[in-house]
Amino acid sequence: MKFVAVIRQVPDGESRLKIEGGKVDLGGVTMILDQMDEWAVEEVIRLQEKHGGESVVLALGLERFEEAVRTALAMGIDRAIHLVAEGYLDPISQAEALAEVIRAEAPTLVFTGGQQADWDSQALGPALAEALSWPVVSWTTQIELDGETQARAKHDLDEGAEVVGVALPAVFTSQQGLNEPRYPTLPGIMKAKRKELKKVPVSASSKVEILEQTIQEKSRLNMMIDGKDPVAAAHELVRLLHEEAKVI
Amino acid sequence: MILVVLEHDGQRLRKGALEAISRARQIGALGAIAGVVIGENTQAVAQEAAQYLPTVYAAEVGSYTPEKWAEAAYAAAQKSGAKVVVASGGRQSRTWTARLAYKMKAGLLEDTLETSADGQHIIGVRYSFLNRVTEKQKAALPVVFTAKPNTTPLAEPAGSSGVVEALEVSLPPTVEVLERLSEQKKGVSLTEATVVVTGGRGLGSPEAFAGVEELASALGAAVGATRAVVDAGWRPYGEQVGQTGKTVQPNVYIALAVSGAVQHQAGMNKSKYIVAVNKDAEAPIFKIADYGVVGDVHQVLPALIDAAKKLKD
Amino acid sequence: MPKTVAALGLLLSAMPIDFTLTDEQKELQKLARRFAKEQIAPVAAEYDRKEEVPWGLAEKLHEVGLLNAIIPEAYGGLGLGMLEEVIIGEELAWGCMGIYTIPMASDLGITPILLAGTHEQKQRFFKKLTEKPALAAFALSEPGNGSDAAALRTRAVRDGDHYVLNGTKTWISNGGEAETVVVFATIAPELRHKGVVALVVEKGTPGFKANKLHGKMGQRASGTYELVFEDCRVPVENLLGQEGDGFKIAMNTLDKTRIPVAAGSVGIARRALDESAKYAKEREAFGKPIAEFQAIQFKLAEMLMGLETARTYTYYAAWLVDTHQPHAHAAAIAKAYASEMAFEAANQAIQIHGGYGYMHEYPVEKLLRDVKLNQIYEGTNEIQRLIIARHILKG
Repeated sequence: MKFVAVIRQVPDGESRLKIEGGKVDLGGVTMILDQMDEWAVEEVIRLQEKHGGESVVLALGLERFEEAVRTALAMGIDRAIHLVAEGYLDPISQAEALAEVIRAEAPTLVFTGGQQADWDSQALGPALAEALSWPVVSWTTQIELDGETQARAKHDLDEGAEVVGVALPAVFTSQQGLNEPRYPTLPGIMKAKRKELKKVPVSASSKVEILEQTIQEKSRLNMMIDGKDPVAAAHELVRLLHEEAKVI
Repeated sequence: MILVVLEHDGQRLRKGALEAISRARQIGALGAIAGVVIGENTQAVAQEAAQYLPTVYAAEVGSYTPEKWAEAAYAAAQKSGAKVVVASGGRQSRTWTARLAYKMKAGLLEDTLETSADGQHIIGVRYSFLNRVTEKQKAALPVVFTAKPNTTPLAEPAGSSGVVEALEVSLPPTVEVLERLSEQKKGVSLTEATVVVTGGRGLGSPEAFAGVEELASALGAAVGATRAVVDAGWRPYGEQVGQTGKTVQPNVYIALAVSGAVQHQAGMNKSKYIVAVNKDAEAPIFKIADYGVVGDVHQVLPALIDAAKKLKD
Repeated sequence: MPKTVAALGLLLSAMPIDFTLTDEQKELQKLARRFAKEQIAPVAAEYDRKEEVPWGLAEKLHEVGLLNAIIPEAYGGLGLGMLEEVIIGEELAWGCMGIYTIPMASDLGITPILLAGTHEQKQRFFKKLTEKPALAAFALSEPGNGSDAAALRTRAVRDGDHYVLNGTKTWISNGGEAETVVVFATIAPELRHKGVVALVVEKGTPGFKANKLHGKMGQRASGTYELVFEDCRVPVENLLGQEGDGFKIAMNTLDKTRIPVAAGSVGIARRALDESAKYAKEREAFGKPIAEFQAIQFKLAEMLMGLETARTYTYYAAWLVDTHQPHAHAAAIAKAYASEMAFEAANQAIQIHGGYGYMHEYPVEKLLRDVKLNQIYEGTNEIQRLIIARHILKG
């Protein structure tokens, strides 16, 4: 069996974002393997631990995505393919490029994050599935394989959840609750150095152009009410919400 | 031609459908608008839709899977010659519209706040970076876009009745639905509520949520939970607010013992007013709060319930 | 400025000095930083308040490979060098110096065995320290002597196949939890440092008791013990080196292990700076954030001046160790300098926070309480100055 995880590198949640020249400037920002993609990587490693076979991590993005790729290798993925592309590329266009590599790998399944913390897009997984003509199960919280050709998965809907049976190969996207990812251990980091990381330059044109990015932080009152007397504070709070904000 | 995929509940059109129609009408300069109703009981629902649109397709494909919806929408787009497809956003919609966009080799604009036409392009405004950045995107036709729920006025009926046409769709290989687990719905719906009261891990125990429920009841509010609370098993996942939970935009969001991690903020940072009560003055939530109290939530909450009840009377 | 990564690489390879961390070291730093942020920092205040050892964290450190990592690969460890230790040390200490002292003191207990143990001894002892989460300890100080190490009084008397130990050690980190404790004793007090032996005492040996010391000012998550030996029989196979080698083993050990202490001080200073910069940007006075006032800016600048110079010098000291060069004076400079600049950084951090800095609820007062010990243990800063002076005056 072969399991593929597709990942992105995104800003760390605590980073302060800046705008430079009408676009988000990530210079000096700590970049990490996206958390939802991390769930995908962890699940791929677990599937490999359970069923044997090979695991591959795939990323399409800037040169610096390599750090996130190495993190996945350090967690335990066998090898990596990094499609290097500069500039923004929308998920539909990315799916085209990634699908070509995935078809060549012919895996049992592909796992990716349900959404990533930079582009806030949920499209990569389903678009990949369409490119490969495979079914997609998005927002997966549980998966079990039944041999190489069938899987049973639980996933979230808009309201509630459902359990589906799906013929493999298929694409799955991760959701919270799927697993608790392991830390890349020190031995893992040292082993990762010797793992294969293939870099392939990719040039593709984006179907979507980002014209402008702004940070419009809603200005907040930041009014602090003295909490020394909790009862008085509570009453003052309710008064402000009722009389000033007029929201209750 | 513009195609609107009309969300429905098997009987009536949903709010999202009417929002999507409004969005389509806003770019009406690009061409005529057709609709498609996909799923079950589509003929009946299409009749309602025909009050809004001149042509409505009914694609009877059974219950939802992303593959079926994408296939049906694609068939309708081809039949109508649509170069733009519009749908209301939501997890399911954002899954199948991505498949559709790939089929059409279209530019996909996800979860847009507003959209406009510019020649043979669509310009969309949306959030990114966990709802912290507002970005303007442009894509040449063909384009598929989803409208963020509750950002568009609901369309009014057109005044004349359109035509309903059955649409044949060849069913693609897809998943088999084995079991449906519906959410336990109690109280006010989170995404519709004008007031939300959320409890965080700092409340200390699931029992402490009784106070949260009481305050919510007194304010006519929905109850929310942080991811930490849901992971601990104190509250159901359906109450979770945040990147992997629900996104809410009430008039006032009251965060009790919530630290305010960026993934949680992503789900509520557009609330009109934010209130925070936390004993840690350094909690990130205070940076985005309009009103904040640094104090013990176990002492503030009973007093809040008291004051809220008095207000009701 | 080189325009590509490749050009920068070429430029660097031509330089005699390269300050770049390897990819592996960067990954290591990321792991330790994440561990500190997610596992250590959230619980540090609680263990400090309770003066309790977070054994669960030692287990987690073992799981991710950060515990006892200096044990060579041949003996089941990861064979990390001093520079890697220093990178890890700064990150973990940023989370909590007390908690970092747990793995740091374990390395202190491993180093004598590394320096003086036979292959058989290394196999035997290191197995215990790698097959499961386990700690080591180093017992030199006694109630009656700290700096005057050669005046130690714990007595070892040869009796057949054993040494019989009698005496008391104090201020021993990990002493009560350790699988192995390297105990320095004398077979002949009149020989002073020439009569010292280094004996590995294993946990559970009859006649060996550990009493936890309570009431420390700081580093309260680290377990500090008094060890009492009463006719404790230690097998001769547990002697490191020869009789009389003990003092040298102890000094050679400390010459190395001082360097991670310096790294810990750098971590504390960085935490002090991070907290202070954050606070200064938010706290307002006289109509603006206090970060806009020169007085505050000067304090922040001085914190960075201190920690960057300390870090760079600590890396240098580590490099000397890793390249097998003499390093005693460098370790002493690093340890003394870093602990003193970190103390000042913690002090100013409290000052910047004003009244809030004085309260437990804010993390900065703990930094001062924790860092003070860095000026005392592993050789007081006064002893470090003697070492440095000796280095100056010998040539």
